[in-house]
Amino acid sequence: MGGDLGFYLVQALTGLSSASALFLVASGLSIIFGVTRVVNFAHGSFYMLGAYIAYTLIGHLGGALGFWVAVLLAGVAVGIIGVVVELLILRRVYQAPELFQLVATFGVILVIQDLALLVWGAEDLFGPAAPGLEGTVNLLGTRLPEYDLALIALSLFVLGALWLLFQRTRWGTLVRAATEDREMVGALGVNQAWLFTGAFFLGSMLAGLGGAAQLPKGGADLLMDFNILAAVFVVVVVGGMGSIAGAFLAAVLISELGAFGILLIPQSTLVLMFAVMAVVLIFRPWGLLGRPEAPGQHGQAGPPEPPLRPPPPRLRAAGLLLLAALLALPAFADDFTLVLAVEIAIMALFAASLHFAMGPGGMVSFGHAAFFGGGAYAAALLVKYAGSPMEVALLFAPAMAGVLALVFGWFCVRLTGVYLAMLTLAFAQVGWSIVFQWGEVTGGDDGILGIWPSEWASDRLAFYYLSVLASAGGILALQYVLHSPFGYAMRACRDSVVRSASIGIDVQRQQWLAFAFSGALAGLAGGLFVFSKGSVFPDEMSIPRSFDALIMVLLGGVKTLLGPIAGAVTFTWLQDEISRLEYWRLILGALIIAIVVAFPQGVAGFLRARAGPWFGIREMEA
Amino acid sequence: MGLSLSVRGLHSFYGRAHILADVSLEAAAGEVVALLGRNGAGKSTTLKSIIGIVRPAQGAVELDGARISGEPPHRICRRGLGYVPEERRVFASLTVNGNLEVGRQPPRPGLTPWTPARLFELFPNLAGMGDRTAGQMSGGEQQMLTIARTLMGNPALVLLDEPSEGLAPVIVEQMVRAIRALKKEGLAIVLSEQNVNFAMKVADRAYIIEKGRIRHQCTIDELMADEAMRRTYLTV
Repeated sequence: MGGDLGFYLVQALTGLSSASALFLVASGLSIIFGVTRVVNFAHGSFYMLGAYIAYTLIGHLGGALGFWVAVLLAGVAVGIIGVVVELLILRRVYQAPELFQLVATFGVILVIQDLALLVWGAEDLFGPAAPGLEGTVNLLGTRLPEYDLALIALSLFVLGALWLLFQRTRWGTLVRAATEDREMVGALGVNQAWLFTGAFFLGSMLAGLGGAAQLPKGGADLLMDFNILAAVFVVVVVGGMGSIAGAFLAAVLISELGAFGILLIPQSTLVLMFAVMAVVLIFRPWGLLGRPEAPGQHGQAGPPEPPLRPPPPRLRAAGLLLLAALLALPAFADDFTLVLAVEIAIMALFAASLHFAMGPGGMVSFGHAAFFGGGAYAAALLVKYAGSPMEVALLFAPAMAGVLALVFGWFCVRLTGVYLAMLTLAFAQVGWSIVFQWGEVTGGDDGILGIWPSEWASDRLAFYYLSVLASAGGILALQYVLHSPFGYAMRACRDSVVRSASIGIDVQRQQWLAFAFSGALAGLAGGLFVFSKGSVFPDEMSIPRSFDALIMVLLGGVKTLLGPIAGAVTFTWLQDEISRLEYWRLILGALIIAIVVAFPQGVAGFLRARAGPWFGIREMEA
Repeated sequence: MGLSLSVRGLHSFYGRAHILADVSLEAAAGEVVALLGRNGAGKSTTLKSIIGIVRPAQGAVELDGARISGEPPHRICRRGLGYVPEERRVFASLTVNGNLEVGRQPPRPGLTPWTPARLFELFPNLAGMGDRTAGQMSGGEQQMLTIARTLMGNPALVLLDEPSEGLAPVIVEQMVRAIRALKKEGLAIVLSEQNVNFAMKVADRAYIIEKGRIRHQCTIDELMADEAMRRTYLTV
């Protein structure tokens, strides 16, 4: 019996120790978000940098003291990197729509990935053991690594230190006040700029510290950034954005579930994690210790959206002209251009489906690749296991993606703004984990190969027409729905939940169906994509794929219907040009950052201001 | 001593909506000036444009002859301009002492520095509530706290946005006493009001604003004597 008890005790402590990294990173994210309202996507990258920098420093310093000094210095170094990012990039775009700041931080992710690759190489690094803590302790007959206890102590220490900082110092008081009402804090004589920079230092330092401290357990590798990001988003959503104690509670809850869930049903951790999330979101949509955000506060900040009008005649003519040009393109273009054009058409549909959800739908999805990849895998699996023809698979893809979006959406529409967005990312990452890990069915990392179009469409020209027409059809369907009563009701829900509900619209149901429709069309894009490539890999469901769409929409401009198309053309072409270079992530990331800083209204927003009047687009009254 | 404020030809916009058109007003040290007008007349926007929360598109705001318009709110605040917002806007999760701490700025030469103890004398209702969470206080207490919070910045001139709005009559009386006490300290005060009776108890002069334009200016005695004007611009 003593042995059993010891086993459970050790299991509980193991859970607590793995909560420490989650807690450190999540609390940092929360602090930064609270003050600056920026969801720092690069937070996972800061965590990764913490691990790498600590690895190098430990190599130089050595000894027990050296180890802990290195961990601390790594945290400080990452804090300074966070400050540099804040000063050089974010400070220039605080006035821009919130989502642009996210795109900028995504650029930072890409840059850091390649810089880490450049400095530390592609090999996973094994973390050195902490000197003096290599052993294990015997707890009622079961052994627990000493370092696990050190990690528990560290997270409790950080929790206490943060509590003191926020409750007992002027800086902490100012940060808490700014989290509630930034404008008022400024009007009371506090320079917000330094508050923001301070919050970035603290938040980034915590992420770096988290990465450095877990080095002896998990080592350092180039996938750490996205791997922790999804888990941290879950922690923040469950714990409540802006609450340090909530982050701690949720990190412990989720880690303990992981520790014990694995005993009940191996491989059940994901399911359990989402069961918990579902329960929390149903009963406390703002997280365990969070507070409700004011409606429309995030994701759609700023002045009210101008009403959408059906495109004016000249713009409609321009659209038709574009379609005609696309249909005539094969007469002039070589095969290579046609392949690129197919990809652009598919990406335009993918981006337009995301735009539908996040622009007029008001539901920003950070995980739209779940539906793109979901459609792609649905089509590929159907072909592989049922041997069905392309035509059937192309219908199956949007159907299954729509079902997937119904399932994910059921949870997501219970939230709004940034919570909703973070949840979509977490769901997408679960989808990615499933296809990545369920190798027997999905082929795992090797993907599914040999998924080719039907005989009649296997010719490059025929497939070109198929994908251009299917994509254009999908985009027109989105447009049609947008200007239908369903679309009006959807926009009403975005603009005012209360007023929509009071005229008899079931807001959550409306948003749920809109989310599913958007997901289904993303799935159609995914289905087309599989047949254009002949294969599908987990990458199609990954965070970077979600961000491709997000960047296309944002570069194009959320407020314009042509935006996602313009963004897809620009971004797909750009990526195609750049991805042949070594360290293309570095270049692409730097480019994204430069574009965000130079065109805070998006490329199409910029063009619209210049060329819009000619097409008969009036700027609406704000 | 107090500062003098001069606002000349102010134009402000929300997006494309023209809210203020050519607003000018003056307030001398030790003077209480009321900005009167109905709902939506542009009172709040005028005060927000002075403190810099709304950036005026045109016109100048000067403090003792130094131009402050165009600077960010925190700089304007540090020059000695205190702003008390409409609708209270206390930091609900902070305690009363926490709220006061956020407002604290260095003492200003020539003015007795405000401390929580002095503020509790000015607003006896707040005394003994230092550790109370602001979000759990009554509306009147919150209104007093916002004023106290601004005073912690040791302003020489205070902008008060609708100080009597939604307050019980007893609390309004205390507010009148507090404003008179501040005037005695030599502070200049610009307050916006819909409530003419409140303004008449504390103000020396009045500006009447309608549809973003100053329609009239006069002493408070003149306003008390002119019922026709009150009816035209002010009564609902």
